[in-house]
Amino acid sequence: MKKILFTTLFFLSVLIMVGQSRTVTGKVTSADGKPIPFATVTVKGTSTAVSADENGNFSIQAPANAVLVFSSTGYQASEVNIGTETTVNSTLTGQGVMAEVVVTALGIRRTDRGLGYSVAKVNPDNLLQKSEPDVLKSLQGKVAGVDIRSSQGTPGAATRIQIRGNNSFFGNSEPLIIVDGIPYSNDQVTTTSQVSNGGAYSSGIANLDPNDIATMNVLKGSSAAALYGSRASNGVIVITTKSGSTRRSKGTEINFKSSFSRETIANLPEYQNEYGAGSQSAYSNANGSWGPAFSALDSIPAWPTYKAAYPELFPSANIDYTPYPNNVKDLFRDGFIYENSINVSGGDEKSSIGVTASHLFHKGYVYNSDLERANLALGASTKLSIGINVSGNFSYTRANQHGGFFGENQVSGTASSFARSLFLARNWDLNLPFEDKNGIPLQPNVTGYDNPRWSARYNTINSNEERFVAGGHFDFTIKKWIRVDYSLGTNVARIDRREVTEIGSRAASGLGRLVLDDYRKQELESNLIVTLTPELKNKDLNLKVLVGNNINQRTVTDALQTGNQFITKGIHTLTNTSQQQFTNDIYTRQRIIGLFGDVTLGYKNFAFLNGTLRNDWSSTLPVENRSYLYPSISGSLVFTDAFNIKSNILDYGKVRAGWARVGRDAAPYSLNDVYTIDPSFIGVPAATLPSTANSPDLKPEFTEEIELGTQLSFAKRRVELDFTWYKRQSTNLIAIITTPPSSGYLAKVTNFGGIRNRGIEIDLMVRAIRGKDFSWDIHGIFTQNENIVTELTGGVDRIQMAGIISGINPYLEPGKPFGYLRGTVSARDAEGNLLIDPVTGWMITADEEDMVGDPTPDFKMGITNTLRYKGLSLNVLWDWTQGGDLYSVTVTSLLGRGVTKDTRERQTSWIIPGVYGDPNNPGQPLLVGGKTVANHTVITTNDLYFSAGGPSGSFGINSATEWNVFDATSFHLREVTLAYEVPKTVFKKMSFFKGVTLSLTGRNLWHLAPNFPQYTNFDPEVNSFGSTAVQGIELSAAPTTRRFGFHMNFSF
Amino acid sequence: MLHKIKFLVPLVGLLAISCKKFLDINTDPNNPTTIEVSKLLPTTQRTLGDALSMDEQNGGLSEVLAVYTHQMTTREEADKYGITGVDVNLQTAWSKLFASTANPGTTFPVYGVLQNLEDIIAKATAAGNLRYAGIAKILKAYTYSVAVDVFGDVPYSEANKLKEGILHPKFDDDAVIYESLFPLINAGIADLNNTSATNAQVPGADDLMYGGNVARWIKAANTIKLKLYTQIRKVKNVSAEVNALISAGNLISQTNESFLVPYGPNAATDDRNPGFYTYFATQRSNHVSPWFYEIMKGYNPNIFTNNPDPRIRYYIYNQVNATQAPREGNQTEYRDGPFVSIYFGSVGPDRDRSQQNTISLFGIYPVGGKYDDGSATVATANSGTGAAPYRLLTYADRLYLEAELINTGVITGDAKAKLAAAMDESFKQVDYVITTFVKPTQSVPALVGTNAVATYTDKVLVEYDAASTAKKLEIIMTQKWLSSVGSAVDQYTDIRRTGYPVVFDPSNPAMAPGGRVQPPINGDPVNPGNQKSVPVQLSRTFALALPWFQTELESNPNAPAQKNPSTYKVFWMP
Repeated sequence: MKKILFTTLFFLSVLIMVGQSRTVTGKVTSADGKPIPFATVTVKGTSTAVSADENGNFSIQAPANAVLVFSSTGYQASEVNIGTETTVNSTLTGQGVMAEVVVTALGIRRTDRGLGYSVAKVNPDNLLQKSEPDVLKSLQGKVAGVDIRSSQGTPGAATRIQIRGNNSFFGNSEPLIIVDGIPYSNDQVTTTSQVSNGGAYSSGIANLDPNDIATMNVLKGSSAAALYGSRASNGVIVITTKSGSTRRSKGTEINFKSSFSRETIANLPEYQNEYGAGSQSAYSNANGSWGPAFSALDSIPAWPTYKAAYPELFPSANIDYTPYPNNVKDLFRDGFIYENSINVSGGDEKSSIGVTASHLFHKGYVYNSDLERANLALGASTKLSIGINVSGNFSYTRANQHGGFFGENQVSGTASSFARSLFLARNWDLNLPFEDKNGIPLQPNVTGYDNPRWSARYNTINSNEERFVAGGHFDFTIKKWIRVDYSLGTNVARIDRREVTEIGSRAASGLGRLVLDDYRKQELESNLIVTLTPELKNKDLNLKVLVGNNINQRTVTDALQTGNQFITKGIHTLTNTSQQQFTNDIYTRQRIIGLFGDVTLGYKNFAFLNGTLRNDWSSTLPVENRSYLYPSISGSLVFTDAFNIKSNILDYGKVRAGWARVGRDAAPYSLNDVYTIDPSFIGVPAATLPSTANSPDLKPEFTEEIELGTQLSFAKRRVELDFTWYKRQSTNLIAIITTPPSSGYLAKVTNFGGIRNRGIEIDLMVRAIRGKDFSWDIHGIFTQNENIVTELTGGVDRIQMAGIISGINPYLEPGKPFGYLRGTVSARDAEGNLLIDPVTGWMITADEEDMVGDPTPDFKMGITNTLRYKGLSLNVLWDWTQGGDLYSVTVTSLLGRGVTKDTRERQTSWIIPGVYGDPNNPGQPLLVGGKTVANHTVITTNDLYFSAGGPSGSFGINSATEWNVFDATSFHLREVTLAYEVPKTVFKKMSFFKGVTLSLTGRNLWHLAPNFPQYTNFDPEVNSFGSTAVQGIELSAAPTTRRFGFHMNFSF
Repeated sequence: MLHKIKFLVPLVGLLAISCKKFLDINTDPNNPTTIEVSKLLPTTQRTLGDALSMDEQNGGLSEVLAVYTHQMTTREEADKYGITGVDVNLQTAWSKLFASTANPGTTFPVYGVLQNLEDIIAKATAAGNLRYAGIAKILKAYTYSVAVDVFGDVPYSEANKLKEGILHPKFDDDAVIYESLFPLINAGIADLNNTSATNAQVPGADDLMYGGNVARWIKAANTIKLKLYTQIRKVKNVSAEVNALISAGNLISQTNESFLVPYGPNAATDDRNPGFYTYFATQRSNHVSPWFYEIMKGYNPNIFTNNPDPRIRYYIYNQVNATQAPREGNQTEYRDGPFVSIYFGSVGPDRDRSQQNTISLFGIYPVGGKYDDGSATVATANSGTGAAPYRLLTYADRLYLEAELINTGVITGDAKAKLAAAMDESFKQVDYVITTFVKPTQSVPALVGTNAVATYTDKVLVEYDAASTAKKLEIIMTQKWLSSVGSAVDQYTDIRRTGYPVVFDPSNPAMAPGGRVQPPINGDPVNPGNQKSVPVQLSRTFALALPWFQTELESNPNAPAQKNPSTYKVFWMP
């Protein structure tokens, strides 16, 4: 609070200062004197920017002695100190459209013209100050070809990012993230199973300070990434930080940002408040609200648990039977995000230094969920007198995440904090004490879940993460055409996690449990690159050759200890537990040595050919297979230049094509069989063979990709289109094949199977209006990817990708989408009629499971509208996810518990359309005189949504899984930003001020998921398995959030 | 130029060598590549117990079969014989029996029976530690016999040979498997008796079942053979084999020679009887069947009528007393004073009401829970020790087998005397299990020697005397069923082979007239008078075998199509 007060006062004092405005006008032209339309003019160190008009004329507000930066795609930016001038003209040099420089693999800078593959450049400004502390989430809807999925609605929960689909059956399918040249591990450390008793764990990238990002490039294809080797088959995100950047800037820049956002739960269901607990319209102390109408019953017996615990609160044997319309809403609070960041950089011709310090506090809408993150990053570079450039950077992050337990509460021995939260019986008063006088949780009905208020208070997961990144870089230009670069870096991430289940919880036998996880991952990366740029005799040709060596080492240690049965309440240490166990004590290390070469040949600056070759030696493969080689080739042609096409319609056109193959190694220790030491049994030491058989003869797996694309610019860049088509095939995957248990093993590690990804990526920019004061830009992205398993291995129909719960699991099967959901289905006859159990009137469950959903969306789209008027801008982002299925425990429970308005009309009886079937032979209709008999067994609304389990079921709880899976098509009003650039004139007397921007943002303001029951208001953008490969399964997850924020950005 | 390259050669060589060393780091430092058989043996024994147990948490065969044999009722799939191949109990049991398996839902890696047994046999035979090999062979034979009894055809000749290249074992004919189990047991006995073996390592405390006692293992092996012969008596004349076994006399013949898997009281590594889980389960799904309860109470009009079983307080623990209202405030479906449960096949309105802290649970004898001393307190992890063994084949079982064999004319003898001895032994077994294994903290009176026991046994024998031959067999089998509470696998086999005990059938008008059953009059203290009758239904008919585990079928191209459990017969059924 003190901090908030301090900064607020500071800002107020700044805002009081006023001054006069000053307009600078001029024209931007190219070297040949032609105007450069729509060039961008920025006041350096601020976000004040205007766009020149069609004829290159601009007008901008700027203080005296400001530096104006002129830039336009394809030209070298130029800076002009305006002194006291009011008219400034600028000439830019460069190739024109699409000669933009892009950072590609290993930090190699290439012009966009020369790229034979698709690279998306992300403007870090689009990620900051959007009321979203997670960098990946703020990418949603902004980059074509990237699939971002959020998980839980609590602070710090992992975000999954995927580029061009899954390429691996079980391994990590997330892109490689490179920050300042060092791989940044984005692992989600899953301490306890997210099926039953796990947290909303974060992924590693959450440690990265978004405020420190200088550039971000997404290398989508294998061609782009081939140089990174094994792990790049999932694409690469290359980030450079401000502090770690080796680029020098003259002068001093100080930037200070401050944000405050308020957070609420995005959507609550619309509850019915006419019926309370019970079943079949009769009251009972049940979970479901299928009891009598509130108008039909005055009182009910006082809840026995409460009466026993607080007889003084329940003097009478009965209590009123009355609704508590806000009982769910009251379980949540208003959260907030508070973020401050300062970035200081400075330097001269030889040296520069930059420091970024940031602090974030995010309090979630769920009680006891928060995230605090502090980052400090420092970088410096200098040119030694002997001509060597030296730079180094160091950063430290500390993140502290608190939260509760999630998962499927129906799994024995678990206690999800959201077990009943969203579907409380309508007559439950959760404002009553949540614990008895001994601290044991109290619920209106005896057990089955922990009171959510009690769980929030006592059952907690606290993850303390620290990360150190250190890097050093040297480069030296030996001759004009030989340059040597060497960099060495380390990235160390450590998680110290404590999971506490307090005495009294339904989990841990009610005796309490402590799980301690101490995880550490260290990654070392060394890169030596020699760049040769010989001058060729033929001046039309341009050659660049790179050769290099890469060494990478990854070491993970993980110690997991469990203490059961707390001796006394409230002390959460292993010494305060009666029984302790070492659940895990693991050390793994793997190494890769790589040698690579990269050759680029350019012709007349319109045709380019690039080839790469890399050989890896991996420690995880058998000696005879450990070396593997893989190439890539790509090319581009700017056909408008090559064929000299001059047109007012098409002003730029490029086609590109790439082919690449990327190899990948195995997980460490996958070769030899080992025994597992088990916990002692009755004091007798025990061990066992493992359930997975290893293979001593693994070979590397390969992914092959072809991509074709084009970039087109129309009507003087009014419309720009970037289109990519790709096809990617992974074969001989190193994975675990399910073996029949009778073979002695449940699975075997081997090379088998294939996965294909095929899709298109479209990025379209329309500059609808480009006026002097007013502009309107529309930016649309479109991502479509089809992810199919092409083959498994002889005789195996399908493999379970992960074991979730009986009745719903992700599977891999040839010809089917990756990780499709398989579960129980209702039996149908040959004509497709549902088969009904004549006795119950419910649908007979088929003996065999079947496909019930595909979690992969058909396509994703994002549209950003940007409107600017002078210093005012409005940015609105809509996104649309079409298709993709979600198994939702929340929705199933909302229906099955009869709490939303969807099930309010319940005086009706129902007949499920279908024909009578034989429960002994699911799939066989019961025939009378050789004919099927239409179902005429009547069931109540209660029975329509809640069946008892067994061989037949209805639609809500205890139904066949297929009825719990919904099409997750959704539309979101993702982001709205209204920004105001305070006129420079305001700071006339304070020349050290270069700019102030104030903005308001709204995030996730509206959504529509038309294929979910109307009153559930369900936002399908949740998932219970964080950034793991398991998608499309939601087990009572915390709903999404809505935020409004106020942001300030000062530069000096 | 050339001399420069020459200089490079050793440098490159050096680099290659150091690279090799740099990369040779792929040896797992966390787990051993080999281990003593003494560490594997306890795993196999414990897992065998787990796979067969009433494991509500992770799944076990008795969790299903106790419902099918009408000792347990549940709201889970097993109700109304609804188990399909994807059932978690089948998954766990099938996987645990054949392969090592990670226990779903927990972080403990748990175990495998047959794969580890094969490893023990191979290692122990090679090293001349034949006692281990012998024990492993007997356990292997027993495990396969159970698999056949429950599933019919299963992989045998090609099973557990992944490392020899067989990924997809064929399923063998159940009768053929059974035939080969006898020589396998004999081979096990021969190994145990082999005096020329080096036996540098011999089993001791690591043999949880018999502490390395060779004589007892041989008795167990012979008794297993007796059981198997009895089970196939309808399809084969086994008189000679059975008589030979009995006259040789080397069978289980004392309480402490019973073949069982012990469990312990330790919660951290959880070595408690899996059935004890119900005591601390937060959603208890194991109810004691009213059918079972009524037979024990003497309510059943057809057998042991008005002859209350003195074991009831050892078998069933009531969380409430006779007059107490349900702790949840909900209407009960079946109540008889302190006893609260639900019916098999129920579709009554009160079936699904939460009775978590009101229902009656299996007690101290079957699962190491609480002896019902009338305290009527809510069960917790501290109510009992959980250290009750899972009984595979007891001395009492042997006596019941003999009584059956005499009754059916396979051997000669005095069936009544055998039944009397079996019943005496059944009571003795209860006292023995409680004092030797469970070691409760509460005081538990002994059964043996009490008047109640004498009265009960006498009345059963009087009923026996008056009965027809078929009824006599029903009495023997029903007593065996009562004696083996908690171990449902052989009960299920017995019901299918002999038709006894008679179990509840919701579609039988005599048992459920008009599709309704009537809980005891005045049984519900909260609503005195007639308890509501409960509608019951049966969707599927009694399962003659359990379905195969679906994943086995789907991952094994050599597997048959899934069976129809209502019609599939194990070979020993005529």
